[in-house]
Amino acid sequence: MVGLSAGEKHFIKGGIDQDLRSDGRKRLTYRPISIETGVIPQANGSARLRMGDTDVIATVKAEIGKPSHLHPNRGKVAIFVDCSAIASPVFEGRGGEELSTELSVALQRCLLGGKSGAGAGIDLLSLNVMEGKICWDLYIEGLVINADGNLLDALGAAIKAALSNTGIPKVNVAAEFSAEEQPEVDISDEDFLRFDTSSVPVIITLTKVGKHYIVDATSEEESHMSSAISVSINSRGQICGLTKRGGAGVDPSVVLDMISVAKHVSEHFIMKLDSEISAAEADEAGS
Amino acid sequence: MKELQVSLNQTQKIRLQTALQKLQDLSSKVDHSIVAVADTISVNHEDGFLKGHGTFELGGEVVATVCGVVERVNKLVYVRALRPRYQAERGDIIVGRVVEIVPERWKVEINFSQDAVLMLSSMNMPDGIQRRRTANDELNMRTIFEENDIICAEVRDTFQQDGTLHLQARSRKYGKLEKGQLLTVSPYLVKRSKQHFHHLEEFGIDLILGSNGYIWIGEHVEARDNQENPSNQQNDTSNGRYVNLAVPEKTYTALEKRQQICRIANAIRVLSSLGFNMTKEIIMEIVNLSITLNVEIHEMLGAEFYVRVAEKEVERRSSLKMGRG
Amino acid sequence: MDHRISLKKETEYISPEGLRLDGRLPSEMRQISAEIGVVPNADGSAAFEMGNTKVIAAVYGPRKVQNWGQQINDQALVRCEYRMANFSTGDRVRRPKGDRRTTEISLVIRQTMEACIMTQQMPRTQIDIYVQVLQADGGTRSACINAATLALAAAGIPMRDLVTSCSAGYLNGTPLLDLNYVEDSAGGPDVTLGILPTLDRVTLLQADSKLTMDAFESVMQLATEGCMAVAGYIRRVLREHTKQLELRRGV
Repeated sequence: MVGLSAGEKHFIKGGIDQDLRSDGRKRLTYRPISIETGVIPQANGSARLRMGDTDVIATVKAEIGKPSHLHPNRGKVAIFVDCSAIASPVFEGRGGEELSTELSVALQRCLLGGKSGAGAGIDLLSLNVMEGKICWDLYIEGLVINADGNLLDALGAAIKAALSNTGIPKVNVAAEFSAEEQPEVDISDEDFLRFDTSSVPVIITLTKVGKHYIVDATSEEESHMSSAISVSINSRGQICGLTKRGGAGVDPSVVLDMISVAKHVSEHFIMKLDSEISAAEADEAGS
Repeated sequence: MKELQVSLNQTQKIRLQTALQKLQDLSSKVDHSIVAVADTISVNHEDGFLKGHGTFELGGEVVATVCGVVERVNKLVYVRALRPRYQAERGDIIVGRVVEIVPERWKVEINFSQDAVLMLSSMNMPDGIQRRRTANDELNMRTIFEENDIICAEVRDTFQQDGTLHLQARSRKYGKLEKGQLLTVSPYLVKRSKQHFHHLEEFGIDLILGSNGYIWIGEHVEARDNQENPSNQQNDTSNGRYVNLAVPEKTYTALEKRQQICRIANAIRVLSSLGFNMTKEIIMEIVNLSITLNVEIHEMLGAEFYVRVAEKEVERRSSLKMGRG
Repeated sequence: MDHRISLKKETEYISPEGLRLDGRLPSEMRQISAEIGVVPNADGSAAFEMGNTKVIAAVYGPRKVQNWGQQINDQALVRCEYRMANFSTGDRVRRPKGDRRTTEISLVIRQTMEACIMTQQMPRTQIDIYVQVLQADGGTRSACINAATLALAAAGIPMRDLVTSCSAGYLNGTPLLDLNYVEDSAGGPDVTLGILPTLDRVTLLQADSKLTMDAFESVMQLATEGCMAVAGYIRRVLREHTKQLELRRGV
């Protein structure tokens, strides 16, 4: 995306080597984060998150659905990301499709786990309404407004914020119904259940540049990466998903080291994110 | 003006508002000279007038075609736009990025509506000798500047007909820029002045404020005044213009110098997001402010320092006003 | 068709007190608000809201023509892409890019904006207008055009005039200004109007459904008043924004 001269690349690389990046950050420092919740009132939950110049919106829509036969006690979640052309002319037409798909799939892997959904970061059991009959389907959508690197982590954090902003309506199921029939449901307009997001993981991407790795890379720094590892980690320090991106190969011992660094970073990041989310919620309630 | 990306707490919001209000009180009345698109500009029809940039005539009235500030110079009436794209003037010093090499010329991206053109014949050859360009020179263009290189040059001419803008790099102070970082700000924030190259001697840093809003901050490079002397070859290597990038660690910018570069860069970032005009003096004041307040380099992009810089600007402008009054 | 008629009969869009479903008077516009500079990467950008309808426009350029074959030697090339977020409507639909509705609106916005841009001042360049709908609650076309006008002005692109847009409709025998989604889907006519307020020209006019000549005239009149009101607001926003820029710049 960004073409850099040999001299600039050298400068960026040197900065990472000396633990002083171009904007003064250390290798493991994030850019300032700000969150606004409830930006899309039509959705059940939404949030806009900015990380430096990266700016994304995440929304959650909940719809009543039918659980699959294989997993009668779990709800379903789908995640889609769209890179808007307003963020960059390269996303025009089908230009953003590849990146959008890469991000969507990575988010699914990091937050939803495998097919069974057993180890998913988002607790699918909590979306069950009536086993085998009714469940909640969550449609999570991300929209990139402005791109300056680290889109995956920003989207992951925005989704966490949007989920904690999500109210799931209370559902009353008609008491009598036959086994074949789909029971009637009554969705409340007033009573909402807050979605519990304490176990929703965050995504930490470590971008490898030279011998070192950095968090929250800007697009300039990303244009320089050899490879990156994105780890999704929940507040208990469990790894919920993992994805390696970029072309170059990484030494297996380095992978383990990167994961342990990511775990360490995640503790601070989750704290920071949680306090920003509650501040945003307070702001929204106040206004 | 870039949107503020940091969230301010309640006190900071109030402090910022107060500071901006003070700036408003300090400025002489701008209200009446501000126009939006399609606003009528009052002119004295009897004296005669000339319509300049950003105006057109509609039913005998002069109307603005862009948002900006109405300026009057003698009979000329024009609108000074606060636009994000660069409006070129002859003699401007600019920083740009080479995007393409075509026969006899480089195409350079300079935040203008077209790529600028730097002809091979408009620049001094590396051997420094004034001579005709040979076919060999043309083949070797890529050894002078290649794609993505950042260069500094001067606007030679603008041909309004086809919109092409020509650059030249005849003096030794122009040329390739390495070992540093490029920042982009709105061009209107960089005021045209006599001095756009700044050698900050105490730090050994070059700061180039391109009129096109591209700003370079990097390690200082000596202008090679006696390069026709072949014995100078070695010096070239040591002063960093032709560094061997194959052994990176050895040629990395020294940490102390890097700290200064990043501090200056962040000062510019804060000024840009606040939309304040920037000169070398103002930038260095902000750098010093950050040092006095003991603010870490990356904290300069945080909410607190942002508000501090706004308050500092109030101080600076009021003392200027006092001095004048 | 039957469904539509029955709906009309059942729902009263104007209460006996003369108020609409959302409490507005027939000639009352929804709350509008605008913000300039929401996309840092763009040359000019703006968010525009009309009630619950919320859009962002971003302008890139004038810049070098990216596809050389499209270059026009005596004027700028204006391009536009309109996109709707999947979450922007009440019911979630995943729509493919480049469907007919999207293509048509992109074209309408491009033609409307081209009418006011002084393209001949910027030959051999390209101007891209991207419009993203975040929430759709009726009047998205109008909101997109208003956002695009602001974004173009913020990018400093010379224009003959501002283009502003507003819609109006006709339900229960009354002309209504600025229809929301419910009113729009009631089956009555929806007239979207775009004007150049200073030059006094119509640049966009679309209407569906039957309407008598007399009724059309009053609807058109109402839409024009709406456009003028939007123009007044946009002008104030632009002046205030420009004033802030100049003030902060100092010197």
